[in-house]
Amino acid sequence: MSQQLRRGPRWLIPCAVAGAMAFALTQRSHAADDARAWLEKMNHALAVRNYDGTFFHLSDGRVETMRIVHRVKAGRVTERLQSLDGSGREFVRNNDELTCYLPDKHTILVEPRQDHGPFLGSLAHFGADVGEFYSLELLPTARVLGRSAKVIVVNPKDQFRFGYRLWLDEKTAMPLKSQLCDSRGQVIEQIVFARLAMPDNISDSELLPAVPTEGMRWVRQGLANEAAPPALLAFRASELPPGFHLTVAGAQTLGAATVPAAHLVYSDGLATVSVFVEAQPDRKSGAEGRADAEPEAPMQGLARVGSGFAFSTVVQGHQVTAVGEVPARTVEFIAHSVKSGGEPPRP
Amino acid sequence: MSEQIREQVSAFLDGELPSSETELLLKRLTRDAELRESFGRYALIGESLRGSSRVPLTRGFAGRVNCAIDGEPAAAGAQAVHGSRRRWWRPVAGAAVAASVAAVAVLALQQRADAPAMRAALPATAQNRTVVATEAISYTVPAALPEAPALLPSARLTNYVFAHSQYSSVLGQRNVLSGLLADADEQPVPGNGRAVNVPAVNGMRLPAPPAESHAAP
Repeated sequence: MSQQLRRGPRWLIPCAVAGAMAFALTQRSHAADDARAWLEKMNHALAVRNYDGTFFHLSDGRVETMRIVHRVKAGRVTERLQSLDGSGREFVRNNDELTCYLPDKHTILVEPRQDHGPFLGSLAHFGADVGEFYSLELLPTARVLGRSAKVIVVNPKDQFRFGYRLWLDEKTAMPLKSQLCDSRGQVIEQIVFARLAMPDNISDSELLPAVPTEGMRWVRQGLANEAAPPALLAFRASELPPGFHLTVAGAQTLGAATVPAAHLVYSDGLATVSVFVEAQPDRKSGAEGRADAEPEAPMQGLARVGSGFAFSTVVQGHQVTAVGEVPARTVEFIAHSVKSGGEPPRP
Repeated sequence: MSEQIREQVSAFLDGELPSSETELLLKRLTRDAELRESFGRYALIGESLRGSSRVPLTRGFAGRVNCAIDGEPAAAGAQAVHGSRRRWWRPVAGAAVAASVAAVAVLALQQRADAPAMRAALPATAQNRTVVATEAISYTVPAALPEAPALLPSARLTNYVFAHSQYSSVLGQRNVLSGLLADADEQPVPGNGRAVNVPAVNGMRLPAPPAESHAAP
């Protein structure tokens, strides 16, 4: 009797453990599916809704107040992003181009866009390939801006990419708060909305830049489908961090340059890194190929750009720069591996 | 920062400030650069318990929190005394947390947080746990943390970033662009714990020295 009692649990324990694990795994995958569904809803809301919001951009103990106005009218998307207290910089974009008003640089930069569908239409869909390098979690509901919010965590599985924590409005799936985190969960940057309206109509005047444009220099960048010398187009990353693969290869004229640069895009399904390859200007003839005529020495090393990084190096007489919203190690890794004739590695 | 504004900031970061008061806070912050700086420091202190405390704090991070507290002694003190907002408490994850960090963390934990959300966040993924276990020993300050100075991209880098932004995901794009909006010229403020702008070298500004390692105490 007592032996039976002792034996009983021994049989039961593995069963119970297996059952609990199976249950936990199922729950977990349901939670991940829910999280994925919410991310899709967020993508959709950001693309098709009208909204006018003011948010705090917090990074490195600094705060900037910014306003975003987004309108979808008759299939045309117009979006304005404005710094309210700092640089006075503004970005306005529509289906065709992104215009950057940089009063501190007395410059207006225009970047053409090739996508003519909904502006945010071609975005990551958090598919299965994303699941290989990120895990998704749905946390219990929290409150942001007095509203009930779903909390989604996108955890990177290694140190080559950043993750996100998102607080999505339960009613509209709009992100009320988002944090960019490193692989250890430390917050690098966050965006917290202080006010968010979703009006049916937004007038044209709300989408006009407040920056006085008199005396500013207009600079227009080229499309990423220009012809370029084959030697320039032969450059590829010969090695990539896990999960990254080549998604776009083209050439475009950047800034005031007169000759195109090669532009390669590598993605893991969520994070993207652009690699730019430019022929180095001939030093003897000054800054050849650059109309702004700044005799620029080659760029070398790491720079912080927004929440991401850029890493520059010189390869076979070409300036190679990798830029992306990824950790420093990722741009450094990719830039260092770029070479002429470097075959894009198989994923 | 007056007690009232501190309360407002604190409630705002908790998502509990009524919208009328949020409007007032927003107006004040838009007008007052000094207040914005305090708000930034305050949010950083708050972050030590909200998002980041599910993993051990690095020394670099603790340093920043200390700087933040040095810059805002009244805020930290008042918050510690102000027990009414305290709603929950939990130990900081990770064994190898330096005493100074622990003190900061306990102080910080007196504040409120997104309680249910972060409690649930505690069981980090298995992957995270592995990373944490190795990193807690060395106190490595990763180069990717915001130890690097806030950099003003050169014209060329700015061009690159804009060209890149069209291939970013929704979130990446928003982060890249709002980062650029925030990255305008700013005067270095020496001695406040913030990185001072490095003069442009070869058209790029170089960040702070890379990863530095300290032995565990």
